[in-house]
Amino acid sequence: MSLAETWRRFRGGPWRVAVAEESMTPALQPGDWLLLDPLPRRWPRRGSVVVVHQPGTGQLAIKRVTAGPGDVVLAGTGYVKLENQAWLLGDGGGHSVDSRHYGPVDLEALVGRAWFRYWPPRRIGTIPRRRSSSARARSSIASKGRLRK
Amino acid sequence: MSVVIRWLKPATTVYAHCDVPCGIYDPHQAELAARTVARMVELLGQLPKESPTEADRQKFVRCVAIKEQHAEIVKHEIQVIWSDYFKPEHVERYPDIHDRTWKILKLASKNKQNIDAQAAAELEAAVKEFADIFWSTKK
Repeated sequence: MSLAETWRRFRGGPWRVAVAEESMTPALQPGDWLLLDPLPRRWPRRGSVVVVHQPGTGQLAIKRVTAGPGDVVLAGTGYVKLENQAWLLGDGGGHSVDSRHYGPVDLEALVGRAWFRYWPPRRIGTIPRRRSSSARARSSIASKGRLRK
Repeated sequence: MSVVIRWLKPATTVYAHCDVPCGIYDPHQAELAARTVARMVELLGQLPKESPTEADRQKFVRCVAIKEQHAEIVKHEIQVIWSDYFKPEHVERYPDIHDRTWKILKLASKNKQNIDAQAAAELEAAVKEFADIFWSTKK
């Protein structure tokens, strides 16, 4: 990331976001207030929760990274190798609107990594990087010719 | 207190889009799960039948577990679309949809019970046809 890009992200944020809708439950609930890291050094890391400009609409969406550059994913009926892209899924299985609908997302569309929930008080804490086992079971990633790790 | 909350409240909203309020359904997940079942059956067929090593046994268990899991995903995803998405006008247009759904659920169970390439292929084809019907109702 260039110095100018780093400065633009640092100035532009957003640093704090509110979650709407339910495709990231149970990890995130509607009404959660989160802190974002708009300057992630090593993302997209698999399992991280990221905010992204949704392809097509440009609306800010929040999803989990399930595959990154170099990974092979099953997209539609064929396998796709991700270049400078991430494959994003909601934790809500088949009910989430995510890369299964709009395909892989360019890294430039990623806005930041959600790392901490500061509201509501009873749910304050860091955002877990991995999904629950039930959500993982619904992931659409498939590694060609070998078992999913 | 309310002043503090107002100050803490983020100005930006991010959307975890889902079908709960949006009414969005997609048979894609069921198709992927059916494909996974077929792939697991394929991998199981490649394992040595005689004198398996410890690694072979480990792979066998994993494949069976994943096959079981994804057959269950097929059942869940198909049931959700059938019960929540299809409306009377869709049933009027595709009167065999109940029967198709029932057969997919049965096929998924058959795939859980057996390691059967024929049943896996039938499941994949049946889910594909179900998906085609779903998308045709969107046109």
